[in-house]
Amino acid sequence: MMVGLFKNEVKKLYSHWRSFMGYILFLVLIPIIMWAYGKGADGIPSAFPENYSDLFLFTGKLNNGLTAAYFVLNFFWVHIPFLIALVGGDIFAGEEAQGTYRIYLTRAVPRWKIFVSKVLASFFYTFTIVVLFIIMTLGLGLIWHGSGDMVVFHEGMLILPQSEALYRFFLAYIFAFSNMLLVNIIALFFSTMVKNSIGPMVGTMAVIIFFLALTSLPLDVFDSIRPYLFTHYFDNWKIMFYDPIPWGKVVQSMLVISGHSIILLFAAFYIFNRKDIVS
Amino acid sequence: MNALQTYNLSKQFAHLQALDNINLAVPKGSIFGFLGPNGSGKSTLIKILTGLIAPTNGTFSVFEKQSSEGYKVRENMSALVDRADFYKNLSAYDNLMLMARLSNHDSAQNIDEILNLVGLYQRRHDKVKTFSQGMKQRLGIGQALLPDPKLLILDEPTTGLDPLGMVEVRDFILKIAKERNVTIFLSSHLLHEVEEICSHVGLIFNGKMENQGSIETIFSSIDQVTIDLEIDKKPETVKILSTLEGIESIQELPNLLKIKIKYAEIPTLIQKLVKDDIKIFGISQRNRLETFFLNRSRDQS
Repeated sequence: MMVGLFKNEVKKLYSHWRSFMGYILFLVLIPIIMWAYGKGADGIPSAFPENYSDLFLFTGKLNNGLTAAYFVLNFFWVHIPFLIALVGGDIFAGEEAQGTYRIYLTRAVPRWKIFVSKVLASFFYTFTIVVLFIIMTLGLGLIWHGSGDMVVFHEGMLILPQSEALYRFFLAYIFAFSNMLLVNIIALFFSTMVKNSIGPMVGTMAVIIFFLALTSLPLDVFDSIRPYLFTHYFDNWKIMFYDPIPWGKVVQSMLVISGHSIILLFAAFYIFNRKDIVS
Repeated sequence: MNALQTYNLSKQFAHLQALDNINLAVPKGSIFGFLGPNGSGKSTLIKILTGLIAPTNGTFSVFEKQSSEGYKVRENMSALVDRADFYKNLSAYDNLMLMARLSNHDSAQNIDEILNLVGLYQRRHDKVKTFSQGMKQRLGIGQALLPDPKLLILDEPTTGLDPLGMVEVRDFILKIAKERNVTIFLSSHLLHEVEEICSHVGLIFNGKMENQGSIETIFSSIDQVTIDLEIDKKPETVKILSTLEGIESIQELPNLLKIKIKYAEIPTLIQKLVKDDIKIFGISQRNRLETFFLNRSRDQS
């Protein structure tokens, strides 16, 4: 039964054109960025020696696929949530807007199963978006620009050997995926409350922007609440490239992100399960 | 045995008492017409029965499965609630497949059979957004039949249809009731529709059940009816009719006479007019259920 319900939700999800927008965006935009990176790469290595030319002798290729992937990841982590919210926000609200709850929820199926299938389908979408992002950044980057050691600037300059860099990317993508799942859950949460898809999407982005503002404003008054805001950890995928990896920070980040995710998921279920379909 | 039984079912929306202690019994094998004016609580009751909203109080059972068993109470029933809305970007076949998976009736053969039954097999791969409302209603009834239900709940299934579509859906309801041995609970405010196809009726006003029973029982309680009489000599006819018993009022209209008369006196009236050489071109009786319903509505107001 659960497999059937999951298939249903995936089918419904991909019946909308907007579900493909994220994929199309990555398929079109990332190659353009990679091309531009290749064209503009001459400027980037020259920027390194400006600071360090007296200290280091660079041999080999520092502007490679790994650095390119890191560059794109830096650029995109604020944009992917929009794509996630666009689809996640429609999962519940879209049914109410279309009036399809009136046929879908009247069957002898417990609501929790329908809830779980919808959540899993939206997680599946998030997963595929992240996987495509990995393929288009790391995969395409390596094919296009080749491999080599990776340069990361954090409290100085850190050069990660290729094998170490790939492992760090793996950890960073897992971290980024958990962040995107939280964005997805926020969108689902709003989606259970309203009857149109625009509201949850705007609501999710408003929440992210609001908390990002609180996170980034250099005001002492927000210092005490910052550690509890999920946006405080939004770009913490970067710490996976530090040496050594600050595991304490990683655990704290994961606890806050997963705490928010679990609470919002249960709240969404509570609302959905008790919801009266009156329209 | 009753297919559906409710026990003191109530629903309160903020300050509105939408349903007030509804006790309803739908006999197995019947086509039960559930009547009431707009806003009387018909749809609210149906939404409770189908799990779309929760009652404030009371319970119900479907083929002896109790609502306290949660979603399992719906195992023997299926519904088309209100207008038939589908996933517009999917085909008729895909829509039915989605619904069929919910009840593990997702064999291609079952879906094709239903599409044939509702006359949409040729259009099975067309997106639902290209369908007319009548086709959607038929597909709606089709999706409700997928799990092979014993009780089919239809909430105003002919709403929004043109006259041809209405007839089509009515004939279809009769057909499935007969061929599939399904008990049908049909909510409607189209009284002629109910009178045409239903064996039992229940009336709801302002969230309260007023009457329920077989249609014969309801009709037997109707004492007076209104008839329209089309004759050639109006003044003479009025004179003759004024001598008859059982006539409450006669209204002269340009082309006919509208007469309120005791139901049992109609044959006497016809005999008398024929005997007095009045040419009768037409005699028609207002829908009896309509008469009953209007009387009850007046009582209520």
